Amino acid sequence: MIGLRGGISLSIALILCAALAVIGWGAGKAAERTIVPEVAAKAEVVAHSAAALVGRALKDGIPADRLVGVAAYFDGLRAENPELAEIRLVGAGGEMARSGAPPSGSPAPTVSAPVAGANDAAGGEVVITVDPGVVSRQVAGVLLDVAFIGIVSLLVALELVALVVGMGGIEALAAVERRVRALARGQLARHEAAGGARAEPLTAPFDREVAALAARHAAARDAAARRGDGAALDALDALSERTGIGRVEAAEGRAAGLVRPALFLFMLAEELTRPFLPRFAQTLAPADGLIGPGTAASLPIVAFMAVVALCQIPFAGLSERLGRRTGFLLGALLAAAGYLLSALAAHYGVFLAARVISATGYALVFVSAQGHVIDHAQGRARSSALAVFVRAIMVASLCGPPVGGVIADRLGAGTAFAVSAGFALLALLVAALTLPKGEGTRRAGSLSLADLGAAARTPRLMALLAGCAFPAKFLFAGLSFLLVPLELQQQGFSSAAIGRFQMIYPVIMVVGVPLFAALADRTHARDRFVMAGGLVAGLGALCVPLHPSLMLLVAALALLGLGQAMSIASQSALVADMAAQAPRGGGAGVLGLFRLIERSGNAAGPASAGLLMAGVGFAGASGLMGLLVVAGALLFALSGRGAAAGREAPGAERAAQSEGSPL
Amino acid sequence: MTRITLGLIALFALIAAACVAFGAYFSYVTLLNAHGEAIRARFALTAGQVAGTAELASSLGIALPAQSTLSAYLAREGSGARDIRSIDVADEKGAILFSSDPARVGRATAPDPAGGAVRSVEGPILNDLGEAIGRVRVRYDAAVLAAGARALREDLLPVAVPAAGGAFLATIAIGLLLAAGLRRAARDAATPARWPAAARSALAAVEEAHGRLAAPPPASQEDGR
Repeated sequence: MIGLRGGISLSIALILCAALAVIGWGAGKAAERTIVPEVAAKAEVVAHSAAALVGRALKDGIPADRLVGVAAYFDGLRAENPELAEIRLVGAGGEMARSGAPPSGSPAPTVSAPVAGANDAAGGEVVITVDPGVVSRQVAGVLLDVAFIGIVSLLVALELVALVVGMGGIEALAAVERRVRALARGQLARHEAAGGARAEPLTAPFDREVAALAARHAAARDAAARRGDGAALDALDALSERTGIGRVEAAEGRAAGLVRPALFLFMLAEELTRPFLPRFAQTLAPADGLIGPGTAASLPIVAFMAVVALCQIPFAGLSERLGRRTGFLLGALLAAAGYLLSALAAHYGVFLAARVISATGYALVFVSAQGHVIDHAQGRARSSALAVFVRAIMVASLCGPPVGGVIADRLGAGTAFAVSAGFALLALLVAALTLPKGEGTRRAGSLSLADLGAAARTPRLMALLAGCAFPAKFLFAGLSFLLVPLELQQQGFSSAAIGRFQMIYPVIMVVGVPLFAALADRTHARDRFVMAGGLVAGLGALCVPLHPSLMLLVAALALLGLGQAMSIASQSALVADMAAQAPRGGGAGVLGLFRLIERSGNAAGPASAGLLMAGVGFAGASGLMGLLVVAGALLFALSGRGAAAGREAPGAERAAQSEGSPL
Repeated sequence: MTRITLGLIALFALIAAACVAFGAYFSYVTLLNAHGEAIRARFALTAGQVAGTAELASSLGIALPAQSTLSAYLAREGSGARDIRSIDVADEKGAILFSSDPARVGRATAPDPAGGAVRSVEGPILNDLGEAIGRVRVRYDAAVLAAGARALREDLLPVAVPAAGGAFLATIAIGLLLAAGLRRAARDAATPARWPAAARSALAAVEEAHGRLAAPPPASQEDGR
């Protein structure tokens, strides 16, 4: 059952493709009528010019069959004028020189100019065939950009829809959709009240039905427990597992809904920079050769990721003291200043400093938004709210790169950074309007190094973090943020095209994470999903050196997305389980250590990728990074031998409710 | 709820129409640029040919001001190509030495005002050492650009307007259908008999299990097993 928002989005995507195809057809017709005659006129001038040159050689006494370099001259003309598909010199005895070939398909316009030989005798003619498809192909490229921008606008609208129609309205619609969708899947769970009075006429009758069923189920279970009928209890529990009866599904929660538009806008600001940032950094690098091209491209990314990783823990306390709203606003302001400075930077050092400023703001916004959700949601509602929070980040990573690429291509990287600054300021404005004002608090229990040390002694935690969490981010950041953009740029792809390639990973994540999370919950095999995810992601990159090609690069990105989609939610749920089982007060340390190590992977990935690329090239770097991920997954698998894997503690975190962080 | 769904549908319909309009505008701009580029390239080729001739004469030792045959050549080139207002050859200081329009000889070359009726392309005339000894300037009628823009608009508008309108209306139609389906499904959710097959099957399984497991089995049946 597809919801209203999902259904309209899918429909618009199809409508948009159809409408843009119609415009493409119309543009082709317009080009044929208006531009092709101009191109033919230009071809005529070229033909006359070429004929005059050949004629001069003939007049100077060079026989037509002894002319040399004519084809090379024609090649040069075609290189300067891509709309000229074929140029031929035709004499009385037939074709004497040729460059190119006529375009396939419909008949192409042809122009010719006579060659005047010695004593103005006819010396043949230069014949040029025009390729009318050149302009149409330019239009098709533009329409492709527009199609992506259209789909991205749609996703942006879906994220920001609460701002337009109001939070209450969206909650009401979501409440109705959630119940209808659950019924379509044969799920009879109760749903937490949400949506208010607007949804009540539609949700209350259903809620009464499932509440009555749940009461009967509880009574049946009580009766079976009283008489000590273990078989009946097992059967009733199995029924509950299968149909959801007696379970309460959490609503998305207002906390996540409130922060979602501002967080999405903010994350979009950073994601815009992905396709062009490495190349832009290389252009600013000092020409004295002190910094190699790989390092020049990776250093700003490494600095950004390192600052974000190191600031996570101290900023968690800072954001508590400042208040979540103030933390968000301050972070957004800092990040906007960083983006603006990046836009104006003319020196590499200034650019690096600008990235550090942006990273500081990014870390403060991230922990403040996360803190806001955690502060305002409890229990299962917290997991659900965090999943909404994570989805906003994922959609931003889906929307940002293609838009950023188009802006950088058409208006320049500086303008794209200025647009990022604009988005960060817009996020600031939206957060100021939507986030509740709250007093800062001073909690005693901030994380210390001792907490992290204690957490590291949690059984299997380090195997999970070192074997899976760190390598996953290491490969993701190294491949997606550095290696792929640089390699594609080297292959001649525009920033817009690179942005589209960078969509492969988040698209698979957005679709795959909920699917694999549900599957991991159903099969109680989270360990195996984490390990298999690592293997899939690593093998994709490991295969690149076998036959370095665009196809394998795309496959590596797709397998990275697939592997991460398989493992990320299960990994977060395993960590959450370990945190829940940690001795009193140790849970925060486990989660803190998890985030710290994960984000260290984000910083180490581009750093290592930059160094490896300088040493062994793109394919070698990808392969070595893939090897590390495969080895990590195998290490984690070995660490689980003999352990009671896959058995969840009572009240264990469900992977479907803990989708992990994509960044 | 009705107001919310209608608001959402209207919002998405506007996005769809705006994207199509955006696509049409970008296509128009791309075609316009390609058209202008084709025209400019054609005149740039003419300028290049004139410059080549002057450079050849210069390499034979004839100084640019002394290349008097250029006047007839420029007149021939200027009259042969449509839309050319004049072809000027100027010295390195910008004074016009030869022109297809004799009235312009002796004047100083001045840039044509942007957006005016005349546009121009120009290229350098170089000596054997690669130094500029003059410039060729081909001035052409801006009306040719305006005519192209008009023709492109005339071709694209009849396609773009219905496409944007169609996208708007199709989104509204599909949105209304989906909203009606959602409302119907929400109403059906109130009555178990009208639930979807999967939910009815789950309900039947639940009721069967509750009936079978809620009460203890009779002793005689227990004994009979």
